[in-house]
Amino acid sequence: MNQATPARALSITALFLLMTACGVNEVVIEGSYPTPNVRPLALNVAVIYEEALRDFNYIEYSETGAEEFDIQSGSSHIGLFDAVLPAMFERVTFVDSMDEARRAGVDAIFVPGIEEFQLALPQKTKLDVYEVWVKYNMRLLSGEGDYIADWVLTAYGKTPQETFRSDEDAINDAAIVALRDLGSSFTLSFPEVPEVRDWLASRPAGT
Amino acid sequence: MRFHAAFLPSGSSVPAGLLLLGSFMLGACTSTTVDEFRQGATGIESGESIVILGRRQASDYETGSDFVNCVGDRMNRGDNRINVVPEQEFVDALFPWFEPRTAPLRTGDLERLMAEELVADKIEDYGIRYIVWVDGFTETSGRTGSISCAIGPGGGGCFGFGSWEDDSNFDARVWDMDTLSSVGTISTDATGQSYLPAVVIPIPLIARVEANACSSLADQLKQFVRGST
Repeated sequence: MNQATPARALSITALFLLMTACGVNEVVIEGSYPTPNVRPLALNVAVIYEEALRDFNYIEYSETGAEEFDIQSGSSHIGLFDAVLPAMFERVTFVDSMDEARRAGVDAIFVPGIEEFQLALPQKTKLDVYEVWVKYNMRLLSGEGDYIADWVLTAYGKTPQETFRSDEDAINDAAIVALRDLGSSFTLSFPEVPEVRDWLASRPAGT
Repeated sequence: MRFHAAFLPSGSSVPAGLLLLGSFMLGACTSTTVDEFRQGATGIESGESIVILGRRQASDYETGSDFVNCVGDRMNRGDNRINVVPEQEFVDALFPWFEPRTAPLRTGDLERLMAEELVADKIEDYGIRYIVWVDGFTETSGRTGSISCAIGPGGGGCFGFGSWEDDSNFDARVWDMDTLSSVGTISTDATGQSYLPAVVIPIPLIARVEANACSSLADQLKQFVRGST
């Protein structure tokens, strides 16, 4: 019995290593985002986070086609918009559906979405950085749900490869940089989007 | 052991390992060069601060936040300490104006930035007199040798030899927030060779290249900012 114990422990360890080596690595993007220092626009906006954004995840495949990383960034995106939007608009209401938004009597309805997510790992690119690209589709509708603007925004984040830092931590850091990039470009470019600018200009002064 | 003995002069009584270790320790030194280019007068009052920010616009490298923090910490210490606002605190407080995509690249952009009332107020609240933009990286090259490690029931150990060269190149551009102009640039270049001999235990003889670049740059920046008025 005593002789069998080290062999059994070794077998269990080997099995555990094999199982962890073959499994997909889950990365839940976690970070905090500062509030933008911008003057808020005099707008009452309803915001809808669709299920596709709330539960957004991206699977990165290895060169052999196996699932390598499962990156879940939905909640982090919500955290970013929650920090950014109340600073951009005088009044923000978070609603669950278009019907609820229409009933809220707001000036505009904002619906952010993710179109594409890409990850570049140093082991594949042979560069010393982890990179994350995200392509977003932003939709702005009138309080009645009519089209105002629909535009694409891209965000990019990178973080250098470091000794003793895991792939998961590096992916998280690169994604946080990308999300901050989204926050900064969205905040500053929103009033400059041609359709948004025209719509803002068409609104009666002081409303 | 035969390998080490090949480097000894005939009849030498000095232990081979000791001589080799001595030569490695000499070799693990770092040489640092600092250049200063002054464009304007500088000076800082007791209530004023500076902030050191890393440039992160390049596609193939980015200035490490560890290096930026190291320079800031060193300037914040000692007799002639200068109050340095931590990089992350400043970038968060001024979000979204100092992110990689939105940060001012030239002093000409500063006027536009300071026209934003909220930005100007925050910079005044922090008492920022100078913004220092640090740009650069450390490159490792010339990796040679190999080390093998083995473990067995009776124990384990490593054997082999490795060496590499580190080269740190950093520029620090100083912007005066009173005149909204560039007042100078300090460049530092540090190089050093590191060795890793392993006879049972690996003995790292690391050249502290980036640390030396950090201390040289911080000391020079401190003098520069206090500089001439």
